[in-house]
Amino acid sequence: MAWLGRIGVPFFAVVLALLASVPGAQASDRSAVEPIRNWYRLTLELVRHTPTYSPPVASRALAYLGISAFESLASGDPRLKTLAGQLNELDALPAREAGLHAEAVIVQAAMAEVIRDLFANTGPTGQRAIAAFERKLRAEATAGLAADVVDRSEAHGQAIAAHILAWSRTDGGAVIENMGFPATYQPRDVPDAWVPTSLVAQQQAPLLPGWGSNRTFAMPHGAACGIAPPPAYGEAPDSAFYREAAEVHRAVLDLTPEQRLIARFWADDPMLSPTPPGHWIAIALQALREEGADAARFAETLALIGIGMADAFIGCWDAKFKYDLVRPITYIRRVIDPAWEPILNTPPFPEYPSGHSTQSGAAATVLTGLFGDDHAFEDTTHVDDGLPVRSYGSFWDAAHEAGMSRLFGGIHFRSAIDRGLEQGRCIGAFVNALQTRR
Amino acid sequence: MRPVRFVSPLLAAVLLSAAMPARAEEAVAIPRFVEETASSGIDTVYEGEWEFMVGGGAAVFDCDGDRKADVLVAGGEGPAAFYRNASAVGGALRFERQQSGLEVSGVSGAYPLDIDGDGIQDVVLLRVGENLAMRGLGECRFERANEAWGFDGGDAWSTAFAALWERGWAFPTLAVGNYIDREQDAFPWGSCTDNWLHRPAGVVTRSFAPPLPLTPSYCALSILFTDWNRSGTPDLRVSNDREYYKGGQEQLWRVVPGQAPELYGPSDGWKPLRIWGMGIASHDLDLDGYPEYFLTSMADNKLQTLSDPGADGGPLPVFEDIAFSLGVTAHRPYIGETVKPSTAWHAQFEDVNNDGRADLFIGKGNVAKMPDFAADDPNNLLLQRADGTFLEAGDTAGIASTAIGRGGALADFNLDGRLDMLVVNRWSTAQVWRNAESGPGRWLQLELRQPGANRDAIGAWIEVRTGDRVQRREVTVGGGHASGQAGWRHVGLGEARSAEVRVLWPDGEAGDWQRLDADGFFIIERGRSAVAWSPG
Repeated sequence: MAWLGRIGVPFFAVVLALLASVPGAQASDRSAVEPIRNWYRLTLELVRHTPTYSPPVASRALAYLGISAFESLASGDPRLKTLAGQLNELDALPAREAGLHAEAVIVQAAMAEVIRDLFANTGPTGQRAIAAFERKLRAEATAGLAADVVDRSEAHGQAIAAHILAWSRTDGGAVIENMGFPATYQPRDVPDAWVPTSLVAQQQAPLLPGWGSNRTFAMPHGAACGIAPPPAYGEAPDSAFYREAAEVHRAVLDLTPEQRLIARFWADDPMLSPTPPGHWIAIALQALREEGADAARFAETLALIGIGMADAFIGCWDAKFKYDLVRPITYIRRVIDPAWEPILNTPPFPEYPSGHSTQSGAAATVLTGLFGDDHAFEDTTHVDDGLPVRSYGSFWDAAHEAGMSRLFGGIHFRSAIDRGLEQGRCIGAFVNALQTRR
Repeated sequence: MRPVRFVSPLLAAVLLSAAMPARAEEAVAIPRFVEETASSGIDTVYEGEWEFMVGGGAAVFDCDGDRKADVLVAGGEGPAAFYRNASAVGGALRFERQQSGLEVSGVSGAYPLDIDGDGIQDVVLLRVGENLAMRGLGECRFERANEAWGFDGGDAWSTAFAALWERGWAFPTLAVGNYIDREQDAFPWGSCTDNWLHRPAGVVTRSFAPPLPLTPSYCALSILFTDWNRSGTPDLRVSNDREYYKGGQEQLWRVVPGQAPELYGPSDGWKPLRIWGMGIASHDLDLDGYPEYFLTSMADNKLQTLSDPGADGGPLPVFEDIAFSLGVTAHRPYIGETVKPSTAWHAQFEDVNNDGRADLFIGKGNVAKMPDFAADDPNNLLLQRADGTFLEAGDTAGIASTAIGRGGALADFNLDGRLDMLVVNRWSTAQVWRNAESGPGRWLQLELRQPGANRDAIGAWIEVRTGDRVQRREVTVGGGHASGQAGWRHVGLGEARSAEVRVLWPDGEAGDWQRLDADGFFIIERGRSAVAWSPG
């Protein structure tokens, strides 16, 4: 079936799977790549179609999903080093029982369990899709295996998932109400404060104001990569604040077709795309596929980038609500040009720093650590939505463009982009310090 | 006929109200609705699982000649059910279930339309499967006419319908909106199937050509032919569910007779809007001659008004969202303690308290069991104030059902001049409420007639003048959520004892102004004086 892509479990792969699961085996099972790839393919759609999945919430889920895949393999692959004890409050995961295990079955079972839980609130179509994927992937992963191997492997995958899900419930981000918007909110009555920018009633309060207090994964806490304040607020034309606003104002009025395309390409709107963290997961999946990565490399990469982006949103949100800065649309209409229109929808939360910049900086830092400084790639994330493929010389090229897209789109000032990318680099460094290999 | 000037008083009012410290609190007559489901005889449940998570409509029309609205309720997996209206004038709502030939399963929605112009309403059944064009035989009997009319019902998940007579043609043009490819249950995203335009096979031919795909299609849940710019040629407005499309948005097709439909785009001024589009209601709320459009969705709903008068060519298709300012976002239940957002489906503008201002009904209900959205999600009844803003009165008016609503209708089932309510529910019995308002509001109900194929004058505009106010209604078939109506067109008059009425017929000819006494039914036949009609 096309929806699963190329799935096949040749006999030799099954043999490898069994060998790989023997304690002391030296290789991970390549067939576990398929459940990882396919569950991620579905997850990116579930992120898009589950209404609570704003970018911060998506980043959290993607972190737990990647960690689940990684720990599933790490429990049997002597090359891999568990993240337990390295990630905040993650205790030792369940060990494997004696006997043969099949890696693909473990990974499949763990990821299915985690996705069912994290997306328990998705709609009826998503629920049907999860069930259909699980039926198919389970059948593929278990084909030809002895029943006791299947049972033992599934039990282990489910134990891994249960452990990670229990851990996830204490991080402060497990419960999302009203799609993340508080029922009431009173903006500060000062000119530099964020005020609602949308005519959507639900968005008269900012998204997830407490997200910066969530438990982080790799960095010590949400303020660990704090950033300098934005330019002092001012409305005088010679003030730094005015100059930054004037830059955004002019940029939108003078957009080139290429700049307009860049703004659209990185818009990554919730409900209309896999969101910014999903965009970077798509980039990572493509890099892994092109590399011909094995399952361990897939899981390691997806866990690390997931952790990096999740911490990036926590760090970014900590700063956003610390500085509580006005958006360009508010300032520019008030001070410069009442008729000015940005080309992107202004997100419903404070401006500084830019979330896409922080998380793109973190993602680029992590992927650069894994694939190198000059990893050129083509980004096909939005082809299905009619947007073109874009080419980049490195992950940082892409991150810089993602940051600038927010200025072209008229939703961020330059300082939010520059400081956001710096913040992301700082957060990514915590992730790169994690040890995934022995 | 285009209005002589373009102004946007509603937009101006919105801007003004935004600058005002507090919204003017004005007295609004809150109607009293009495639920009479249990005694009404209506007992149909819209049943089914995934393939019936959308749809759930009703057709409301007279098929036995007594000019009382009979009802067909979609049954989803179960058979549709037809009910003959047996209500006494001004009395309790009472319906009698009877065999009609419409009792087929798989029906998601239904729209009445006199396709063959014989004076008897036919019905188009939207289905998960083959759509059916059912010819009315009289006395509320119907037969399949797909083959006789060359109507290709296809095999899709059909969810939306609209119709009009393109100028000069003897048979109607039907538009069918289709949803996702139901075979793609594991990965349905991006699988929206084409909507169809069923045009006549020829100018004088009384059958349909093979359907024309309206590509691209983005999982339509409501479509409506409407003359949004008063050009005299209605276009096709399509509201799409962003849950399933890739690269999609709301759509407006330019539909010129004899030409292939074309999408309005950025070069026309059209701005992308991406919502969980589920229903369309239209009405000229600000009395400027141009309709406003209410688009239902999940969480916030949209109310659009034209904002660019354009140049000599008339207004551009540029719409501003004024839902927030006018108080019709209806994004959250207004009863109970939940802060979870709502899920909106059918929408309809009608004057339920006869104060001369159109009000807004919205059918609400969770898609299935989506925990992030309100489970107890009451239907809305938003009453328009004199300043153009709206007051939620669902609870005080007595219609705050938290059943899982879908389609429905506001119609005067007992011919007392007050609009009653029908709501089709998923997994529970459809409900009816009698409007027991006893306030002083007056009304008119009008039925249009013209010779030729388009007997019911679909595409006409009715103008009702009281003092210096002119209310306008476009006569359309389509919109809402899977639910259509034919029959009386109701207009509230407030305290006016009479009103001047004229019809702008579909070909643009303006009828004469006629003064009609309030609180009466009138049949307006083209070229003739209006004739009063009395029920009973």
